[in-house]
Amino acid sequence: MKVSRDEVKYIAKLSNLEFSQNEMDKLIKEFESILEHFVNLEEENLDGYEMYSFDEKSLRTRTDEVVNFDNRDKLFSNVKKMRDNCIEIPKVVD
Amino acid sequence: MYSVNEIKKGLEEKEFSTVEIVREYLEKIKKKDDKIKSFITLREEEALKEAEETDKKIASGKKLKILEGIPIGLKDNIATKGLKTTCSSKILEDFIPPYDAGAAIKIKEKGGIILGKLNMDEFAMGSSTENSAFFDTKNPWDLERVPGGSSGGSAAAVSAGFAPITYGSDTGGSVRIPASFCGVVGLKPTYGLVSRYGLIALASSLDQIGPFGKSVEDCIYGLKGVQGFDEKDSTSKDVKMPDYFKEIKKGIKGLKVGVPEEFFAHGIDKEVKEKVEYNIKILEKLGAHVEKFSLPITATGLSAYYIVSSAEASSNLGRYDGVRYGVRTDEYKSFKELIVKSRTEGFGEEVKRRIMLGTYALSSGYYDAYYKRAMIFRKKVEKLFDEAFEKYDVVVSPTLPVLPFKLGEKRSNPMEMYLSDTFTVNINLAGIPAVSVPAGFSKEGLPIGIQFIGDKFREDILFRFAYALEQEIKLNLNPWKEGR
Amino acid sequence: MGAYETVIGLEIHVELGTKSKIFCGCSTKFGSKANENTCPVCIGLPGVMPVLNEKVVELAVKAGQAINCKINKINKTDRKNYFYPDLPKAYQISQFDMPVCSDGYLELGDKFQGKKVGITRIHIEEDAGKLIHLEDEDVTLIDYNRAGVPLVEIVTEPDIRSAEEAYNFLKKLRNILVYSEISDCKMEEGSLRCDANISIRKVGSDVLNTKVEIKNMNSFKEVHKALLKEEKRQLELYRYGEEHKIVQETRRWDAGKGRTITMRTKEDAHDYRYFPEPDLPPMILEKKYIDDIKSSIPELPMKKMERFVRDYGLLQKDAEVIIDEKSTADYFEDLVLKTKDPKESSNWLITEVLRSLKEYDEIPVTSKQLSELIKEIKSGSISRNAGKKVFDKMCTSDKMPEKVIIELGLKQISSEGELEKIVGEILDNNIEAVEDFKSGKGKAFGFLMGQSMKATKGKANPGVLKKLLEEKLKK
Repeated sequence: MKVSRDEVKYIAKLSNLEFSQNEMDKLIKEFESILEHFVNLEEENLDGYEMYSFDEKSLRTRTDEVVNFDNRDKLFSNVKKMRDNCIEIPKVVD
Repeated sequence: MYSVNEIKKGLEEKEFSTVEIVREYLEKIKKKDDKIKSFITLREEEALKEAEETDKKIASGKKLKILEGIPIGLKDNIATKGLKTTCSSKILEDFIPPYDAGAAIKIKEKGGIILGKLNMDEFAMGSSTENSAFFDTKNPWDLERVPGGSSGGSAAAVSAGFAPITYGSDTGGSVRIPASFCGVVGLKPTYGLVSRYGLIALASSLDQIGPFGKSVEDCIYGLKGVQGFDEKDSTSKDVKMPDYFKEIKKGIKGLKVGVPEEFFAHGIDKEVKEKVEYNIKILEKLGAHVEKFSLPITATGLSAYYIVSSAEASSNLGRYDGVRYGVRTDEYKSFKELIVKSRTEGFGEEVKRRIMLGTYALSSGYYDAYYKRAMIFRKKVEKLFDEAFEKYDVVVSPTLPVLPFKLGEKRSNPMEMYLSDTFTVNINLAGIPAVSVPAGFSKEGLPIGIQFIGDKFREDILFRFAYALEQEIKLNLNPWKEGR
Repeated sequence: MGAYETVIGLEIHVELGTKSKIFCGCSTKFGSKANENTCPVCIGLPGVMPVLNEKVVELAVKAGQAINCKINKINKTDRKNYFYPDLPKAYQISQFDMPVCSDGYLELGDKFQGKKVGITRIHIEEDAGKLIHLEDEDVTLIDYNRAGVPLVEIVTEPDIRSAEEAYNFLKKLRNILVYSEISDCKMEEGSLRCDANISIRKVGSDVLNTKVEIKNMNSFKEVHKALLKEEKRQLELYRYGEEHKIVQETRRWDAGKGRTITMRTKEDAHDYRYFPEPDLPPMILEKKYIDDIKSSIPELPMKKMERFVRDYGLLQKDAEVIIDEKSTADYFEDLVLKTKDPKESSNWLITEVLRSLKEYDEIPVTSKQLSELIKEIKSGSISRNAGKKVFDKMCTSDKMPEKVIIELGLKQISSEGELEKIVGEILDNNIEAVEDFKSGKGKAFGFLMGQSMKATKGKANPGVLKKLLEEKLKK
């Protein structure tokens, strides 16, 4: 199961990760080895099976009422940069 | 050190106080955990304060809850309010949740005293706890070997006597595998039995929090401490479960055991195979009917598992970008740089590998061949297990195909590590419960685990088998050479 | 020059009128302090999980029924994965292949020969937070108040053929949604947003050519302007044989510059990697549930308009104006109940009442006040002109017309006796005009009326005055 470098670069872009040349080489080899194993899924007989069965109970919902979080002071205590009660990041250009 | 019943009895009969018990456990941890390295964070002050409150409660004669005064350890992917929760990752190394996980709330409500947070494979990705960003946890039975993963810290802590009950999480075997390697009891409950709210997600359709105990009874206490409906988790089920303590007294006479041939096939270590087969004979001796059958799901199951879990993980881990929490990279000029560098620097190798694999499996052009097919395969696994449970009360297998391996032994190639999960992943794919119970030791004294698999919400049957075996083989589960 | 036609499809995002957010209990209140309405769930802290607000499903089903959609008994949510700073979880919980509603239509009304615009689908999703870009610093601030506010996305078939049709569609849609109490649809507050897809093709072709997406239109009028502009841009390229220059892209409408500007091209398009949301099992809607919601929908604008024409004898164009806002339509009916005079009521509504809404947010005169005023005018106690003055005064006071008339001294003189005297005086003092009239100059009558009216300081009942003057002049 061959994987192209371009494909891996594209996946890295989607994942917002970056790899050095060496890491990329290693990753490609590992991918190929793993995907090799996944061939058994391709060969499995799945006739008569569907992705969803919808045989469980319907999704449970909640009532439409305002319930305020009881620890709002600490909600943003893990943010590294705050300003005017907002989270600060470098300017994002559309 | 003590079983839960021993602690409860001791507190009731005023043999010792909660403060004394908690202090004893904390002292043991401080004395011996430098060898094992199971804990990441200890909360001494708070635990002792809570112990004081418990003692006051006992003195006033108030009715005690089921886990009152019992020291507990939590895997570090279970959110604890005001207490650092890291998932053993650099990217969350300073994260302090402002809220408690549903399971943590239940434990506190039931009187449990949380001693601290336990080491794990980063974001629960791994089978050996070698992927922690902080340090490796050692197997108490052999400090050069892995404790299993990803809940290695939780299993090792119970094995080493650092807490009578700990909790881990199981997505593809992460409770059962370390339970097997560390010679303790570890349960993966039915999907939906324990709240996932606050369990930092790896794979949302597979994760479950599971208890560890040195004995089946301790494990039962652990389950009772967290099971039950949670309205904050939309996948949480509201099912009335039986009284496990009553059930285990029933024994296993007349119950039917299915032995899947494929789970004893090539690739399995000879000693593991023999020990488990020997234990199955004991089950027969105790009155169970044993029959072999075919369950051809192991190889494809592993593929389906790694596709689904990586896909869901790639989505679940998208939020780690340094913006609202977690480590931010030092130098960044743009938003893009901020998140790419924070993620690249903050995530370990295995995590990045699985995010890439998962993103690939979901990407346009590959979704049908990988993710969709894997999800369809899950239906097949569910059906095959359904059919098995029409004939059998329980399905039994080794927990792993291998003995506890040495640190660094399986690092050359990820696929090698993934193969450890062969016997455990299908249970998560089907959403059914399974427990790993100590079956004995290898010639070198390494623990071997036997796995009991049951139908949905039939934890009672699992405990019956586990207890019957435990009481019959009566193993010495103390890993310390020099005694308690 | 071969004939071309414009093909437009709209994507409308509507904020549902719920009290709390879609997956958590935070308030949806607009205008709160930054990050005041937040919690671990809507800011995507590690470990949190969504729980669906039942009202969101209800309103989405209602919206579907109000625009003739099929309600999908089984529907589910999916994750749409992408990175953007206003998206806390790096995925949006939306609906991909099994939305709650599909295959509906909305009628554009008489002006467009009752044309039906197809509705492809309606699905529920969560809104993202808001980004505030600072002017003079390289900083963006994130406010998550809006993150998790429930939205429905309504997608139309590419059935719209002009900017005007699009404008009308939006007005009609907004009306229906406001009438059904699904949303307050305030574009200025962001509770209704519209993106458009527009392409050009030869008349008679059924192929869809390269479409361009237009974003950032902040009012219905801007949608109209932007579509006209883009239509013109594309047509010109076609005319010069340069239609290949139209690429599939997203363009931003710049209201200031009055044109559309390239934002991003297809190459930058996202691979959303949709997959079913594992934290939310699918929804299975019961028939009774769906039917109950349908019966809860109030009379919709079209039906109300038809009823007004039929039962109150209103002109279609007047009825259209009155039903444009539900509050106005309700006021009208209340007024009719009190005055028993639909024609007068509709007159007043279309003139003075609607005019007052340009100045005031709500109708400033109660239906009781206005009904009494109409009675006073009908009884002849004041003239219609005086009535307008009374109306204006009542806009800022809750006094009844009777009082205001006295205060302003507007009582009309209707007594023949009084008026006869005055008419007599005017005729005596304007012999030339009388002569002019008698010799056939009709204008003189108007002059004499004017003089008489002036003599009464405008208080004369014009009808009575006219009658008296005619009588006297006959002699």
